[in-house]
Amino acid sequence: MLQILRAWRVQTYLDFLFLARDRRNSSFYMIADVILTVAGITGVLLLAERFGGIGAWNRPQIVFMLGFASLAMIMSQGLFGMNVLWISRRIGRGQLDHLLIQPRPLWKSLLTEGFIPVSMGPGLIPGIGLMAWSWNAVSIQTGPAWWAAFALNLVAAIAVITSFSYIWGSLAFWAPAGAEEISSSALRLISELKPFPLDGMGRTLKSGLLSIIPAGFIAWYPVGALLGLRTTDYALLFTPLAALIMSGLAAIVFNRGLAHYARTGSQRYLDFGHRR
Amino acid sequence: MPARDHKDIWTSDTVVELTGVSKTFRQRKTSSRWQDVGRNLLRPEWLEIHALKDVDLTIRRGEIVAYAGPNGAGKSTTVKLLAGMLAPTSGTVRALGMDPVRERVKYVGRIGVVYGQRTELWWDQPVSATFEWKRVVWDVPRNRYDRMVNYVKELLGLGEFFDQLARSLSLGQRMRCDLGLALIHEPEILFLDEPTIGVDVLAKRNLIQIVKDLNEDRNLTVMVTSHDMSELEQLAGRIVLIDKGRIAFDGDFNRLRREFSDQRRLMIETSEGLAPKLEGAELLTSESGRHEYRFDGSNVTIVDLLAQAGRQCEIVDVETHQADIDEVIADIYKRWQGGTVPDDPAAVKT
Repeated sequence: MLQILRAWRVQTYLDFLFLARDRRNSSFYMIADVILTVAGITGVLLLAERFGGIGAWNRPQIVFMLGFASLAMIMSQGLFGMNVLWISRRIGRGQLDHLLIQPRPLWKSLLTEGFIPVSMGPGLIPGIGLMAWSWNAVSIQTGPAWWAAFALNLVAAIAVITSFSYIWGSLAFWAPAGAEEISSSALRLISELKPFPLDGMGRTLKSGLLSIIPAGFIAWYPVGALLGLRTTDYALLFTPLAALIMSGLAAIVFNRGLAHYARTGSQRYLDFGHRR
Repeated sequence: MPARDHKDIWTSDTVVELTGVSKTFRQRKTSSRWQDVGRNLLRPEWLEIHALKDVDLTIRRGEIVAYAGPNGAGKSTTVKLLAGMLAPTSGTVRALGMDPVRERVKYVGRIGVVYGQRTELWWDQPVSATFEWKRVVWDVPRNRYDRMVNYVKELLGLGEFFDQLARSLSLGQRMRCDLGLALIHEPEILFLDEPTIGVDVLAKRNLIQIVKDLNEDRNLTVMVTSHDMSELEQLAGRIVLIDKGRIAFDGDFNRLRREFSDQRRLMIETSEGLAPKLEGAELLTSESGRHEYRFDGSNVTIVDLLAQAGRQCEIVDVETHQADIDEVIADIYKRWQGGTVPDDPAAVKT
């Protein structure tokens, strides 16, 4: 654990150096991030505003969910930046070799090398802002247990996003060129679906969005449980359970891919295989 | 020079041992004909590429070994096997007493790898930031790190650009930084894969000298691949030549010259402008009474050639020297392309 904390600290230092080097670059970098975050949730926000809510969800609840969805997405990008979340790029470009010559288990490298908390900071503003704005209106009974459940579900949502990207991204082990951008496509898919409440959808579609494309576990299901909208017992544990299953599946697929990589290696070199 | 402080140095004299190592890749065979599109998609044909075939190789502590061969001979595959990135199809790879793939984490902490075509430097960061990052990831104790940073800064002259962004460095500066970075954790073996590719003559000469100094000062074992034979000859005492996945030669450079091709040059200056005809030698140039010949020292002697020339004209001056190593290697590669690779590499192995 100490090794991970030390690695996160040095990555924070690198991230800070990167942003602090040039005022103009860093400000545009941050503004672009905020615009992207806002763009990802605006459609549903406008729908909720126009109709005073969507289905069983009233307007403040929708806004709270959008804030949660935005936080989960941005935090996954801040924890696994530098193409660690977009793992198919690293695999497809032969950049996994950089990680394999580090004297630490690959999971530790992947957990720490993309940590960019300083760059991530401004991207959190829209999410926190939306949640704060709807806070009083959703009238949640909070206490330590609720906050613990909130944190657990947020981490689980991040794990679902990351696992989904890794399950698809691992295909790049077998098809480095063809699947180089598959993580981006998977993340775009899940990101575009994440703000929609799934109430009122048919059983098959809803099941699909909670399994094959688990967009429902990024915000809709966990926020419903946090706001007390679910009637199922232990609803707060469903998203963490889904995250565990998906992480396990991602680990299996990734490790099989890694074994294939140890047999075949990567034949795709960049002239200068820089890290970013 | 700072002293090493590894606690668990493998005591054996042999640091790298490849036994019967083969590595086979499968490559899809794709036809570009319209009528083959369906077959390409549904029933593709596969080619088996034998990157390495039954390779035996041993490297002892403190050796500098040049590992050379034509493009696609299996050099990079060998380095990848030894860096723990690839597993062999058959045979065993042992380095520092470990299996590089199975014991990767422990093993890579004791080796250094430098690629000429890729860098370990963080692109958008000052060089110093990557060094600090390496200290943390490699878990190098602070005092050892400080000592080694001072050492590599002085050895490689990194001081002047240590705080510059990696992306603003020239290729030669970047290579020096990458080499310095690879040394920070005091590796016992250094793998250099084409370290001077694209580097200018002066920077190349400096790098060669630095690697030699490191080898002498720290008894560092070095395995270096390159296409630049004169560079390899300056650097290494031993050369391993690989072709089509097999070790075709393992020995020193002089023996390589003798066994494969004792090509020599003879320069004769004559009082008359016409070049004498010498049996067993090929005339390369002839200008203002100076005539340059190439001959195979194992077929004809200089004395014979000079006697022939003396019978035809008056000799004013004579110069002779061995052929350039690049020429020798080019000759060998040409022969291999013609299919005359020795079937039994042991036959030419020391």
